[in-house]
Formats: sequence, structure tokens, C-alpha cells
Amino acid sequence: MSASAKPLLQVQRLSAQFTRDAVVSQVVKGISFDIAAGEAVGFVGESGCGKSVTARAMMRLAPEGSSVELGGVVRFDGQDLLQLREADMCDIRGQRIAMVFQDPMTSLNPVLSVGAQIDDIMRRHTGVSRAQARRRTVELLGLVGIRDAARRSEDFPHQFSGGMRQRVLIAMAVSCQPDLLIADEPTTALDVTVQAQILRLLLRLRQELGMALMLITHDFGVIAGMVERVYVMLDGQIVEAGAVDDIFARPQHAYTRALLDAVPRLESAGRLMP
Amino acid sequence: MAEARSIVDPALDTRPIAEAPPARKRRHLLLALGIAMLLAMLLVTALGPWIAPYDAIATSPDSLAGPSTQHWLGTDSIGRDVLSRLIIGGRTTLLITFVAVSLAVAAGLVLGLVSGYVGGLADELIMRGLDIVFAFPVFLLAIAVVAALGPTVPNLILTIAIVYTPIMARVVRAPVLSVKRWDHVEAARSVGVGELRIAIVHVLPMVMSPILVQTSLTLANTIFTVTALSFLGIGPPPPDPNWGGMLSEARQFMELAPLTVIGPAVAIVFATLTFIVLANGLRDLLDVAGH
Amino acid sequence: MTRVVLVRLAWMLPILFGVSVVAFALMRALPGDFAQAAAGTADLTPEALETIRRGLGLDQPIWAQYLVWLGGLASGDFGSSFVTHKPVLGELLPRLAVTAELTLMAGAMAMALGVFTGLASARLRGRTDWFVRGFNGLLLAVPNFVVATLIVLLAGLYFPELGIFNYTPFFTDPLGNLGSMLLPAFSLALAVSVTISENTRAAVLEVSSQDFVMVARAKGLRPGAILRNYLVRNALTPVITVTGLQLASLLGGSILIETIFTIPGMGQYLFDSITSRDYPVIQAIVLVAAVIVLLVNVLVDVAYARVDARVSYG
Repeated sequence: MSASAKPLLQVQRLSAQFTRDAVVSQVVKGISFDIAAGEAVGFVGESGCGKSVTARAMMRLAPEGSSVELGGVVRFDGQDLLQLREADMCDIRGQRIAMVFQDPMTSLNPVLSVGAQIDDIMRRHTGVSRAQARRRTVELLGLVGIRDAARRSEDFPHQFSGGMRQRVLIAMAVSCQPDLLIADEPTTALDVTVQAQILRLLLRLRQELGMALMLITHDFGVIAGMVERVYVMLDGQIVEAGAVDDIFARPQHAYTRALLDAVPRLESAGRLMP
Repeated sequence: MAEARSIVDPALDTRPIAEAPPARKRRHLLLALGIAMLLAMLLVTALGPWIAPYDAIATSPDSLAGPSTQHWLGTDSIGRDVLSRLIIGGRTTLLITFVAVSLAVAAGLVLGLVSGYVGGLADELIMRGLDIVFAFPVFLLAIAVVAALGPTVPNLILTIAIVYTPIMARVVRAPVLSVKRWDHVEAARSVGVGELRIAIVHVLPMVMSPILVQTSLTLANTIFTVTALSFLGIGPPPPDPNWGGMLSEARQFMELAPLTVIGPAVAIVFATLTFIVLANGLRDLLDVAGH
Repeated sequence: MTRVVLVRLAWMLPILFGVSVVAFALMRALPGDFAQAAAGTADLTPEALETIRRGLGLDQPIWAQYLVWLGGLASGDFGSSFVTHKPVLGELLPRLAVTAELTLMAGAMAMALGVFTGLASARLRGRTDWFVRGFNGLLLAVPNFVVATLIVLLAGLYFPELGIFNYTPFFTDPLGNLGSMLLPAFSLALAVSVTISENTRAAVLEVSSQDFVMVARAKGLRPGAILRNYLVRNALTPVITVTGLQLASLLGGSILIETIFTIPGMGQYLFDSITSRDYPVIQAIVLVAAVIVLLVNVLVDVAYARVDARVSYG
């Protein structure tokens, strides 16, 4: 379970309510969870259950043109993120909490080189010079497995495949060595063959940098081997929580069982389920 | 005046997809306003000779007079009543505008339908031909044609019709091209429904919305062209008054009688605004996303 | 990339050809007699008229005349003015330069004004948005020559010391020249700025809802940096395209503005030529204007395709 010290992230009764065109929809209905420093936690549920909204609510990233009402407490390293001024929240984003999004094809600025896009986050949060930032960028690109990193750092997003773009985005996210990395469906938009590579990369980086990881996905298969604990979400609420092995072995909630059943199996039945 | 095609150019739809359609009430407000303005204009100009206080071409010794109970908008440099001239001037301007644009719409419909529906070589030829007309700045072309043919009312109508036919044809062709590929049109065709019937039942309704919006915009642009041409002195010949000519003549003594400038200016702006409001109202109503 | 450019240029050729035919035909399809116009008001004997006709090559079949004219164009011979009897090209070029200056100034002003209001409208929303859009709608209804005339009226009434009609050539007095072009360029720019404003607004709104902007926010970048490097840089491309395409409208409007402010540009030259029936000049101006518009359109197309390559692969 969680570390003995106070958890890195402690969320209490978080709720998120969207108002658009006078229609109010409550997407997250008072959930509570925590993540310890260096811990990997999974959030599983089908589309629309509110898991992505939870992550964005924590980061206070409302989509353009909608207004969001947030309730509850999001205590990160002692501070309640929901009460922070926007300017202070801006400092935390990217530096202490970073996020990797789902679609690598649309997540990069088409008119900037990938190197520039990693440089700018580092230059924003640390006082490094342009040259220092670029050196570090090239290192990072190599770290995430992009060959010929120095030359590639000058290339534009459209010159990279989906899988490679996701690597770039991961490099970007870990560049300032955040305490917590949120990965929102990081492999969903990728080819099956590439998915495993990206997951392995995330695992490796987590171990090397000692970050906490919040892995959001609809696929239980992605969770296995990646996280220590799991929260299962349905319709804006957490319906089950526990250590990953326990969940796999003894799912309590009917919905959890349904999700587990949905994972395609290559091995013969009977190996993973009791 | 901005070219109509830059607002409704089929090649440049940059309206955001996320923009919600305007609220219900507002959708009809603009259209209602536009129709009201149009009716007001038509009424005043139609009743022109009967409601104008003076003969529009009658001169008087009372020149450059300010507004008074006798002359609501004063008089010009040779004593003609400004208000009457505005009213009568509107008739010619609006006549030319409506007739010319009707011709352009008709020609554009035919060309666009043929081009879009028949496709192939006919499409290529027609489109290239229209591109040639498109290459000329609208106003310069209008000037050149009128200069070549001579500034009479029929020539003005013809010129404007020629100059605005290409945009009409383009506006018609775009939905025709997309409708042609629809599944149920294919289905109808395979069952043996005649081409003409398909054209009328399926294609025409699709074309109506953008045509209506574009027609309003072209009407606004035409007011500009007609008044601009007459401003330069190559519009409808004297002695009939026209707004552009009035504006130009007024320049000589305008500090002495500002209304001689403001009168025609307001008239021109009102007429143009009417069609722009109509265009926006229609666009809101029909939710045309600039195709 | 070069292939795209070549294809686009190739497409332009038949249109150029058609444009030249139209420009040629316009002046030859006159009710009056071309030779008579060349003679001007002089009352000539039929023989003298015939001499002129032969001198102008009017006794040749029409297609031969066209080819001769075309050949002349290629060597820079745009014919001679009926009024001054001097080569048209020589008279046209300095005036073209003046119009070019006016048009560029107007274009720059329109962009500055349009991008600023469009950006404000898109980012500030609410009342600012309503105000800008309402104002834009109203501006569209005021033709550029009406704006110009009203400006001259206002200046005459309230600022008589502001010499409106004193155009000075650039090389005589650069600062004075720019000053005298300010109000004319502004009159021309106003209507065009509306289109740019609307397109900027639309483009910025579209870009703001893109994923990479959300990612930029998640990186903790400051709003100013996001605006500059993520929003504006992506939104500007369609905006520049639209501005380029406005050139035709600017050129057309310049004739009116030049007439009102007595600026010796190409537009005023056209107008004078129409009054004096100086057909070779009219022909040349119409042709030059069309060619310029075509070239700029092709340039804009190519530039857009280049940037689009980056965007469309995504």
C-alpha cells in the first residue's frame, strides 16, 4: 500500500462539473484517492467514466470554451492545487506534475521543431541557456530511444511516426524531472506492436527517475506489470480499489470483472483467473 | 469593400468547428431586421415619384441650403433637393442592382450545375473560363468593360452580371460536386431515376442555401460597384440622379453643405448594410458553414 | 516542392493567355473606331484615317493583330499612348510604383488592424467579441470611397491645416510622402481589415481548441509564450493567405482612392485614360493588374502549400 510518510498526492472528494450551453453534467462525483512518492497507480474504466477528467481537473486544465466547477481537495506535496493562483499552478505544471496525452499525432505543435518544443519547457522552468537546453534535449531524445537524436531534434513533428512522436512527448514530460507523471491513455492511439515499447519505456523511465506514475487506461491489459495499485472507475465514481494482484485475482465489483473479461488473452484460459 | 468571395470562398473555410450555432432568438433577429430594411428601401423607392417632395432634376436658385422644413436635407450646388434626389436615385441604383444580380445568379446556376454535374471536359473548360474572369480585379474589369461598351444602363447591367457570374457558378458547383457522390443519389440512379429528376430533387435544394447567402453578399457588392462606377462618372448617364454621382458632385462644395455628402453616404451605407444583414441572417438561419 | 510550384505555374499559363485575349478584345470590340480614337479629336480625311489604320496594323485580320500585340508585350512594347504618343510602359511604371506603395501600405495597415482586433475578439471573448464583430459588420457596409470622401470632409471641416491633397513623390521627400499616403491607405485598408479580422478570429479559435495547445498549457508555459509560439504562429498562415488574396480588392479600390486624394497612381491613370479614350493605356493597365493578381495568387498558393505540408502530415 502507500508509503509510510504522507502521500505525494492526496485527493479528497474531488468533483468536476461542466456547464455548456446551459446543460450541466457532473462528470466526477466526489472521488478520493492517493498516490505515494515514487508509486505507480492505475486508473481503469471505460470511456466517459471520468478518469481523464480527473487528471485534467487535478492539473486545472479546462478545455477551451467550457467552464468547469471543481470541488474537493487536491493536496499535492502539502498544497491544495484547487486553491492555488493560476500563476502558481502554471509553475507546477510541467515541472512537478507532467502529463502525457493520448493522441501523439495532434499533440505536437506543427510549426516548431521537436527540439524546440522540449527546449521551451526546460527553459520555462529552469534557468538554463538555449545551448544547455538543447544539449539536454538531445540527451532526452536519446534516452527515449530516438536514434540520431542531435539531427532529429531539428526535425518537425510531421517527420516522425506516431510511436516516435509519443516518445518525444514522453521526453518532453520527463524533461524537468517531475514528481508525478500522468499518462492518459498513452498507448491507445498507437499500433499494437508499438504499445508494448512505449509501456516499457515508461516503466524504465519511472525506475530511473523515481517518479510517481498515474496511468490512465480503459484496458486492464495495459495495467498489468506497470502499476502497484489500481482504482476502477465507473460513471464518475471509484467502485473498486486495491493492489493490482488482488484486483486481478479477486475482483469484487461486477464491473471490474467485466473489464477484466474484456482483456483478450493469448494464453489458455485458467492461467490468470481463478 | 471586401470582395464577396473572400468571405464565402469555397476554398477558405476557416470557421471553427467548435463554434456553436447562434442562440435560437438571434438566428431570426438578423434576418427579420434585414427583411425589414429591404422592405423599407423597396417601398420608398417604389413610391419614389409620388413621395418625393420635389422633382429630382429641377434646379432652383436656393443652392447649398442647409436642412429646413422646405428641404429636409437641404439642396445641392444648383439648388436641387437632396432628399428627392436620394429617393429617385435609389430607383436606378436598385434597379440595376437587382436585374444585374438576377442575371448573374441565373448564369451562375446554369454554369455551375452543368460544370458540377456533367463534370469532365465541360467542367474544366467552364472553370478555366471563369478563372480568367476571376483573375481581373472586379472593379477594374467593370471599369474596363463599361469603358469599352459605353456607360448606359443596359451596359452597366450586363457588365455587373458578367463580373459576378463566376462566383455564383463556383458557389453552385461546390454542393453539386458533393451531392453527386451521395449514396442515395447513386441508389436512385441505379434504379433508373432520370438525371434531370435527380438534379431537381436532390441537387437543387442543396444549392439553394449557399446561393441565397451569396446572392445577398453579391447584392451588397453590386451596390458598391454601381455607386463606385457612378462616382467615377461612368455610371448611369445624367440627368437621372444616382447616389455615387451625387457623392462625387458634392465634393466640390462639401464644407459648405455637408449634407450633400452625408445624404448619399448614408443611403449607400444603408443599402449595403441591408444586404449584409440579410446575408448574415440567412447564413445564421440556414447554418451555412461557409461551404 | 519545386514540382508543386511548376504545376501551379503551368496552370497559370492558360489563364494568362485568356487574360491577354480578354484585355486585347476589350479594346478592339469597341463601337467606335479604333483609328478614330487614335486620331483623337482631329478631323481627318478618309485617306489620313486609312494611313493611321494601316500604321496601327488594323488592316490585318484580328488574330494577326493579337499576335503582333502579344509579341510587342514580350519585348516590353505596350504600344504608345494616343494622348502623349509616348510608349505606355514608360508612363505606366512610375505610376505603378505609386499604386504599389499605396497598396502595400494599405495591406500592412489592414493586417495590423485586422490581426489585432481578430486576436482580441478570439481571446477576450464576451463583450469585446460582440463589439468587434458588430463594428466589423458595420464597416463592411461603408465602401472605401465613401470612407475617403468622409475623411476629406472631416479634414476640411475640422482640420483645414492638414493638407489633404498634397501628395509628394517619395524621392523628393520620403517622410512627407509617407504622411500624405497615410489617410488614403487607411481608407483603403478599413474594409479589408474586416475580412482579415474575421479570418484571424476564426483561425485563432480553431487553433486554441487543438490538442497541442492543451499540451502547451500542461507544460506550464506562460500564456504569453503560448499565444506567440503556439496560437499566433499557427493561426497566421491562413490569415496571410487571405491577405494576399485581398490584393485584387485593394487594386480595384486604389483607383477610387487615388481619384479622391489626387494621387498619381495607376488607378488615376486608368481613369484619365477612360475619359480621354486612350485605349492602349487602358489595355495595358487592365492586363498588368490581372497579371499581378495572378502572380500574387500563385505565390500565396505556393507559400500555403509549403506550410501546409507540415500541418497536413499531422
